[in-house]
Amino acid sequence: MMRKIAFAALLLVLGPWPASAQSKSETGVRGEIVGQGGLRFPIAVSPLKNLGTAADTAKLSEGIADTIVYDLDLSGWFKVLDRAAYIENPQKSGVVPGSFDFKDWSTIGAEGLVKGGFTVQGDEVAVELRLFDVFQNKERVGKRYVGRIKDYRRIAHKFADEIINQFTGVPGVFNTRIAYVSTSGGRFKEIHVAHLDGSEKFQVTNNHTINLSPSWTFDGKSVLYTSYKDRNSSLYLFELYSGKEAKFTPRIGRYLGGKVSPDGQFIAATVETAGNSNLSLLDRNGNLIRSLAENPGIEVSPSWSPDGRQLVFVSDRTGSPQLFILELASSKVRRLTYSGNYNTSPEWSPRGDRIAYTGRVGNRFAVFTIAVEGGEPRKLTAETADSEDPTWSPDGRFIAFSSNRAGKYHLYIMQASGESQRRLTGSGGDDTKPSWSPRLE
Amino acid sequence: MAAMNKKVSCGLVAILLLAATGCSPSVASKPDDASAASTTPSKSAEQRPGEGKRAPTGESTAAGQSSLDQLREGKSSATSGPLKDIYFSFDRYDLEVEARSTLKANADWLKANPAARIEIEGHCDDRGTNEYNLALGAKRAQAAKDYLVTLGITTERLSTISYGEEIPTCKDTNETCWRQNRRARFVIIPGRAAS
Repeated sequence: MMRKIAFAALLLVLGPWPASAQSKSETGVRGEIVGQGGLRFPIAVSPLKNLGTAADTAKLSEGIADTIVYDLDLSGWFKVLDRAAYIENPQKSGVVPGSFDFKDWSTIGAEGLVKGGFTVQGDEVAVELRLFDVFQNKERVGKRYVGRIKDYRRIAHKFADEIINQFTGVPGVFNTRIAYVSTSGGRFKEIHVAHLDGSEKFQVTNNHTINLSPSWTFDGKSVLYTSYKDRNSSLYLFELYSGKEAKFTPRIGRYLGGKVSPDGQFIAATVETAGNSNLSLLDRNGNLIRSLAENPGIEVSPSWSPDGRQLVFVSDRTGSPQLFILELASSKVRRLTYSGNYNTSPEWSPRGDRIAYTGRVGNRFAVFTIAVEGGEPRKLTAETADSEDPTWSPDGRFIAFSSNRAGKYHLYIMQASGESQRRLTGSGGDDTKPSWSPRLE
Repeated sequence: MAAMNKKVSCGLVAILLLAATGCSPSVASKPDDASAASTTPSKSAEQRPGEGKRAPTGESTAAGQSSLDQLREGKSSATSGPLKDIYFSFDRYDLEVEARSTLKANADWLKANPAARIEIEGHCDDRGTNEYNLALGAKRAQAAKDYLVTLGITTERLSTISYGEEIPTCKDTNETCWRQNRRARFVIIPGRAAS
């Protein structure tokens, strides 16, 4: 078909480095790094040493380090020390324990240190990366990767994920994509996907109409979205690697949106018939299985629980849009939100315990989370601007959202607590409705 | 779905974006040219005025053009013609007094032009969530349709569509503009319009 993302290069993970295999549990910095408003862990990321004879024409030395720095900063858990303060010359000092001086790093305040080297051969690069505990003068973990030079960011993301794993026991989420809606400065809304760091941008649609509400299948290989490209809004399922697309239309009415279930077997869709929007359960080919949560009012925006047994959705059955939870087996519905008069766009955390949503505060919109059992919601963004459309990272520790705090709508991420709000790379237009992919393989 | 169709190598495969093959130059998108691509949509649409084929070019004063076609052609979606918009309050789809009186006038025009069929568009202001606003716009269009039916217009002459908050007539952040966007719009379906 027309457009697709191609598999390109093999990325081999050959590590862990034997020497570091059992250093993992011996250090004192394991566990969640910071608490509420706590200190960020000071870490240095040295430019990589060129271990080969070929020149570093692709600027991998700094490129890989820059990517790791970007990721660690994005997490909000680290204070990455300014490279200008680094003492040693990365091309002269070694990368294995004993071949450099930990004092060069403790002197500048680093408690963690990332060093590495690389060897270029043709269009491939072999990269070894190590995380050191500067206090204990010890290596924490080492990994070796081989891949295409142009995929070096993937290698850096992989190791950043491993650093997060070392500190928190759960790998990071930097090898992920965001699907989102962007005007790119024009007047049409098109679906885009990009890596979390803004690289590897890919435009899913280019039909010069309105394309909305992208969401991922749980294998990260397809994007479901709503489009007016055939004049009436319909659902489309686009496979990124084949470029194939399926279109779903109901026998009566129109689809306004939908989400694929965690097992990939079902789609929960919003169908509008004669002005009424209700939820329908479809099979993965778009065939109607049954109606869900039928009501004379508005029912929209279903989001699956991670076990696929429940849906959180928006209904105005009580007079204003509120969140409700439907148990599929029993068809029982319970109201989740009681505060505020406009609560929409829910997304269930992959951890299962909380639901993120957009709530109206005065004339502004803010991102909230609420426990699945209900109770007091947590407001995560300030109402000095609008923040909307939250989406969880695959580990449930971060939330991406869109906000107009810098004028146009841009994408941001924050920790699930609301801390460390950081802007992602933008398109120059209005970027909205992010959907965070599962971890890429 | 997660475990299905996985090739063994996929687990360690990195992905490279390629320019899509086999598509026309204006559609091709390369990984690193997002900024270049970003400027093309509006331009190329302007260069291809015939793209919104299903609508007329506006010689007929009575025939309308859908908001979607106007968007495609870069025109304002402000309404001109015999049928006036009606307006709604925030997050509401009930008909206000003024809306009812406008609908009566619109019904009179429809009675005087019995061959005309119209599509009623429901719109919202840009606050709130896109998908909820699609549903809200559908409610607004339906409310207008239902009232026209009670005024004696046959349902066969009236279709509805919601554009939610996607095709505003103005983009200011104040109540005057928001109210202008919270509208139902009445588009005379081309080709069937009475003179």
